Amino acid sequence: MPLFSSKSKTPHEALRYLRDTIPSLKNSKDKEHKKISDEVTKTLHVLKTQLYGSQEQEGNDLGAQISSEILSSLSLFVLIDNLAYIDFEGRKDVVAIVNNVVRREIGVRNPGVENVYSKPELIFLLIKGYENQEIALNCGMMLREFARNPLLATTIIGDERFYKFFEYVEVSTFDIASDAFSTFKLLGELLLDRYNFTVMNRYISQPENLKLMMNLLREKSKNIQFEAFHVFKIFVANPNKPKPIMDILLRNRERLVEFLTKFHTERSEDEQFNDEKSYLIKQIKELRPAEENYQIKEENMS
Amino acid sequence: MSLLACTCGSKENDKKRRLKDSQPEKVPSKDLNKNAPETGETIHEEVDDMELLDSSLFRPDPLQYELCAVIGKGHCNSSTISLAKNLATDSLVALKRINLEVWSGELLYFQNEIMITRLLSHPNVLPFHCSFINGQELWAVMPLMAFGSCRDLMHAYFTSGLPELAIKLILRDVLSAVDYLHHRWIIHRGIKASHVLISRSGRVCLSGLHNVLHTIKNGQRLHNVHDFPLHAKDCLHSYSPELLAQMLLEKMKGTKPHLADSTTVQEFVIDDEYPGTEGMEDQGTSSQERANDIFFKRTFSPHLHELAAACLETDPQLRPSAAQLLSHPAIKSIKNHSSSLLPSQLQPVTPLTDKSNIPKDLAMEEEEDFSRKMSEVSMLEDWVF
Repeated sequence: MPLFSSKSKTPHEALRYLRDTIPSLKNSKDKEHKKISDEVTKTLHVLKTQLYGSQEQEGNDLGAQISSEILSSLSLFVLIDNLAYIDFEGRKDVVAIVNNVVRREIGVRNPGVENVYSKPELIFLLIKGYENQEIALNCGMMLREFARNPLLATTIIGDERFYKFFEYVEVSTFDIASDAFSTFKLLGELLLDRYNFTVMNRYISQPENLKLMMNLLREKSKNIQFEAFHVFKIFVANPNKPKPIMDILLRNRERLVEFLTKFHTERSEDEQFNDEKSYLIKQIKELRPAEENYQIKEENMS
Repeated sequence: MSLLACTCGSKENDKKRRLKDSQPEKVPSKDLNKNAPETGETIHEEVDDMELLDSSLFRPDPLQYELCAVIGKGHCNSSTISLAKNLATDSLVALKRINLEVWSGELLYFQNEIMITRLLSHPNVLPFHCSFINGQELWAVMPLMAFGSCRDLMHAYFTSGLPELAIKLILRDVLSAVDYLHHRWIIHRGIKASHVLISRSGRVCLSGLHNVLHTIKNGQRLHNVHDFPLHAKDCLHSYSPELLAQMLLEKMKGTKPHLADSTTVQEFVIDDEYPGTEGMEDQGTSSQERANDIFFKRTFSPHLHELAAACLETDPQLRPSAAQLLSHPAIKSIKNHSSSLLPSQLQPVTPLTDKSNIPKDLAMEEEEDFSRKMSEVSMLEDWVF
């Protein structure tokens, strides 16, 4: 009986079994395929349960041991590359297994992340996964786990295949588009990180970007207005506004104050938003034309 | 508005129709049981041919759907559920529409429901055929559950509760669904009569997965849940005593509601079963007293009383799990009963099967109303760049 045999496998045997069997799913057919597929799914389920451990044995050694064996003998590549051939329930266990391995830390080391970092094709298999409806959401879940790590996120952003996201967020199927968007947004949050300050600074120094955000503040959609607000605020909060940015803000000072005072007043319960809004209004009211010495500097330069 | 308001208006007419309608269709089950729960007790011999339609036939394209009538509201009235015709398959579907501009909460609320449902496949969990954005609205296409929800049924006709066999058949399917979720470490957190839907052939589906919580977060399993559903107040009457006590405590303290460290997921998981009994005793909105009255006036088989009592156990450690309840004698007693028996138990209520007796579409009026509101949004002068 398959269930019995998978239960009797030691974790080591289970991993070897998966390593040897999963690649054959691709070429097997009909009855044979079903048999193998069922056994693979059951083995994955048992493996996931051992990896996560039960409540009583939290932080167990077994999980750590299995995790390192997954990296050394099974390989994440086998799991991810064959995801589309693993059945519906099995795929979710693959996600759970991969995410657990990638999150697991041993002291200051993070072997899962190191493993993925050394094999970046894993990342690009997952990005490509958004193109296959069947596995798109599973891939998205793993990709987001990867993207939470700055090292791996940099790998994703640094590759030209990252631009695929601009297509994925616009596919007509809502669940895929919004999953891709969640990943996209997670990667975008990196820009707020300190070490990406130069990139952000370049963005908020360009008047075209400010104009776009100010127009989006008045977009018909309340949701777009709200998102635009969160970008606009960075332009205003910037302590070293370049002259072109300062000029636009100054030219629209009264209008901005009036506009922001009436902006999304129904969000009375959102404290953070209201604090930020009052801060912006105050900042804009207190805007003064660029300091003289700044102007002198400019003149000297020109 | 209840889905059934239009289908059980005249009991006399229904009597004539019901003989025809209640005939179970003999359709082979194909691979519907492929993902049957581990307990493997539920066998669906007959299934709606309509429900068997492959989800891939439903395209994420608004032009493929012809809205017919509003059949319900959801998510604190912010979503509208319409009966609609899918032009590609010429079949009726239920279409949930949410105007994302009117909805003031987080989009995550709907995203969560759609994404998690997408990763579930069980005959007793209501799937989405597809979902897409149409203008300002999010549309989600679902199979039509022609008998509506248990709440609708109890409001429309069974004001003193459903027949015992119906209760057992419904409970069995709901428990299978809950067992499926719990095996995947997912907590429903919103099981109530209005989320239990019944198809034309008597298949019961659990819906309302917007409060769902997946206990795997960041590659780790949460053993303690510190999170109340976003709209807990809609489901208050079906929460367990320990959960309500916790909420009350937090309210008194003035802190945001969350679960105490001591409340383990396991306990919380069992909370899900607690409301499983509501089909037999509760009217959804009626007062608890009235529900109690009816419950105590009616006599069921001893097994069913036992099951209800077990679910009402105040100590969460002693309360049975979904898997345990599935092997309870009350449920075992209908082991060989097909769910196609359910429609006959629901007579004289008949399912919604054609468009002819459907009231006028109210959706258009709403849309006009909304577009008027939008035009009132004042626009200031242009920016000066």
